[in-house]
Amino acid sequence: MADQGPLLELRDVWKVFSGVPVLKGVYFDLRPGEIHALLGGNGSGKSTLMKIIAGAYRLDAGEMRLLGRPVRVESPSAAQRLGIYMVPQEPHVFPHLTVRENLSLGLDLDPETFRRKLATVLDHLDFEVDLEEPAAFLSIAQQQLLEIVRGLLRDARVLIFDEPTSALTFREAEQLFDQMRRLTERGIGIVFISHRLGEVMEVAHRVSVLRDGVMVLRAPRERLTPHDLVRAMLPETAEEGEGPAELERARRGERPVLEVRNLTSEAFRDASFDLYPGEVLGIAGLVGSGRTELAEAIVGLDPHARGEVRVGGVLLPRRTPAICQRHGLVYVPEDRHAHGIFLDLPSLYTMTAGILPRLGRFLLASAKERRIGERFVDLLNIKLQGLDQIAGTLSGGNQQKVVLAKALAGEPKVVILDEPTRGIDASARRDVYRLIRRLTAQGLGVILISSELEEVVELADRVLVMYRGRIVGELEGDAISLERVTEASFGMALEAAS
Amino acid sequence: MRRWLTSREALVTGLLVLLVLFTGLVNPNALKFRSLVEVVNASLSLLLITLGEMFVILTRGIDVSVGSAAGLSAVVLGLTLNLGWPLSLAILAALATGLLAGAVNAVGVTLLRVPPIIMTLGTLGIYRGLMRILTGGSWIENLPQNIKALNLWHLLGVPFFVWATLAVLALTAYVTWRARPARYFYAVGDNPEGAYFLGLPVRPTQFAAYTLAGFFAALAAVVFTSQIGFVSMNAAEGYELKAIAANVVGGVSLTGGVGTPLGAAVGALFMTAVHSMLIFLGVPGIWDNAFAGVILLLVVYLDYHVRRTLEFRRRQARVQGEAAWEAEGGRS
Repeated sequence: MADQGPLLELRDVWKVFSGVPVLKGVYFDLRPGEIHALLGGNGSGKSTLMKIIAGAYRLDAGEMRLLGRPVRVESPSAAQRLGIYMVPQEPHVFPHLTVRENLSLGLDLDPETFRRKLATVLDHLDFEVDLEEPAAFLSIAQQQLLEIVRGLLRDARVLIFDEPTSALTFREAEQLFDQMRRLTERGIGIVFISHRLGEVMEVAHRVSVLRDGVMVLRAPRERLTPHDLVRAMLPETAEEGEGPAELERARRGERPVLEVRNLTSEAFRDASFDLYPGEVLGIAGLVGSGRTELAEAIVGLDPHARGEVRVGGVLLPRRTPAICQRHGLVYVPEDRHAHGIFLDLPSLYTMTAGILPRLGRFLLASAKERRIGERFVDLLNIKLQGLDQIAGTLSGGNQQKVVLAKALAGEPKVVILDEPTRGIDASARRDVYRLIRRLTAQGLGVILISSELEEVVELADRVLVMYRGRIVGELEGDAISLERVTEASFGMALEAAS
Repeated sequence: MRRWLTSREALVTGLLVLLVLFTGLVNPNALKFRSLVEVVNASLSLLLITLGEMFVILTRGIDVSVGSAAGLSAVVLGLTLNLGWPLSLAILAALATGLLAGAVNAVGVTLLRVPPIIMTLGTLGIYRGLMRILTGGSWIENLPQNIKALNLWHLLGVPFFVWATLAVLALTAYVTWRARPARYFYAVGDNPEGAYFLGLPVRPTQFAAYTLAGFFAALAAVVFTSQIGFVSMNAAEGYELKAIAANVVGGVSLTGGVGTPLGAAVGALFMTAVHSMLIFLGVPGIWDNAFAGVILLLVVYLDYHVRRTLEFRRRQARVQGEAAWEAEGGRS
């Protein structure tokens, strides 16, 4: 492996999305037989970089070289012809076709050659599978192997694994690592993207860290500690422990407004916690850690979840969003366009959508409706031409405020905010923060889910950190710091914080 | 497992046999060879249109213009015949018309990116309108004897068109089963993003599907023109919806990627048989449509219910399995 020229090399790569640079002159290289881990927080640009290598995006400036030769990769299939194969986070499976059909699709081989090649590859990987079974019956780990087989059938020399372990069990992940090591013995280079530092330290030969579109670290694994990696991913200006210290509340005697006990689903296990009136409870964790699924299970969007949820002391055995709303529990989903707002209707319609029964049995009391709307426009500082402005024509920040108005119109006891400030500008963000503080001062309980750890650190009185579907830590008051939350999110055990 | 996925064909075939047997108990005439052949004969044009529609539905599309395309092809067939063209040339002209009609839909959907339902709703009106423009609105009658003669040929007591359609069905089934490009229809409908990622020709495949739908509509036009002996302005009107219904009954999933030519054919046969059997049962014809609708909903609901139950059990088992593993202290 030593003293060899790189298999793949990217020099000074730039990528700009609608005027915003996402990659700023990135260098990356991969040697034959190497597992090179690529790390970075959410939005650091690592997915973009991988998509450029795999042909899904084109680079705006810079150069990509394969075995020293400059190459242009115009499409995923062009990349595959060059021997670059990306095993996507969600394997591309055709559930109704058989495994064999899934594997042969897109390959230009005669049946006999295909059969022989497939046999060799399956044998090498020790992958035992019924080729005539529909792919729908494969487990996620098997689907990933199917993708690896696809890559090998295309004679891939570069394999990219995009968070391959996020949906695997611990045992399945170990098996995958064995496969990866075996592949490197054949000179294949592997780019390994992961959020889990433990895994990275276990399998990688080298580690690169991206932060804000800049490569901030590249070093052999032996010279690194997990702390180095966390530090590299943190923003340089991170100020420690600036949580709202004034909120030293005496809530010991109070009853929780929300109690969650042993909630379990496919995506997370055994979540138990309480939320007190006037408290902001942050739930931190990386994408795929189970945060959103937890919120959805609490409000009844996942019918397969098991466990108990109590609101104001009342057990809700059967939960739907409507039932939860009646008990004062509201969920503001992450994807406001898909689940939160009527884009083609007047803004007011969204704001009052949840309280229509209160506005009249059959005919709606329009004056009352408008009064409520105006109250929220003031309260949230929503900038619109009038209550009838079509919601889709508002800016992202104002749309989000309209969604919040809808959630608050029913005067709930608990609000779950999932990524409340995603894609909105700084001033709207400040308004949302101010609102959250104001609401909690009036006794509302808020659960704040955010992948922006800075936001959690700034707003939360208490933070639960999720990692691989479990609540792995709880931080409170001054113990909440960016570094601690980050470490826990990446799976480094929390030292007992008290 | 494979059987589970294909059971829809079995289910519908079983229902079809039951329907015929039940009718036979009430009215033994229904079971006579001639009656059964007549039922099959009456289903041919719907069967062909359904087969063409199947390709579109497999790719997760929809084509509601196939009835109009068939009507337009029939008009071209009738006009060219009455102009004195030889039968073979007139049939070729009709088939070309169908191909072209399908290709126009294909251009709209794949190149101009018009949503399939909108594109084909538009051409549904355009093709039906062209029929009237070409003929001035009157029926095409007095067709030469040679086209009607096709329908009179019999082999072993079975009309030529039944044999021909069976041959087309067999060929379609074989090609769909074995040919690599046919696999693309399934792949594109099953997982369009994955198909693109693997470098499959997604848009050419969709293009081919709409063109095939037009071609099969033209085949149907030849059959029904010969059977009826004239071309009305309402020819094949409403067949687009019947063809979609037949596909659904036959197990071709509207969400794409699932279904077989055999299933589609059985679906079309079933939809026609319902009409014929009602006649044998002495039920007034005004009940036909309502009855067909009820059958459609029944079959689809049964199927949906079975699938949903299976999916629910699978997910419950997964949650419980993880919990059990946890309880044994699975994670190290």
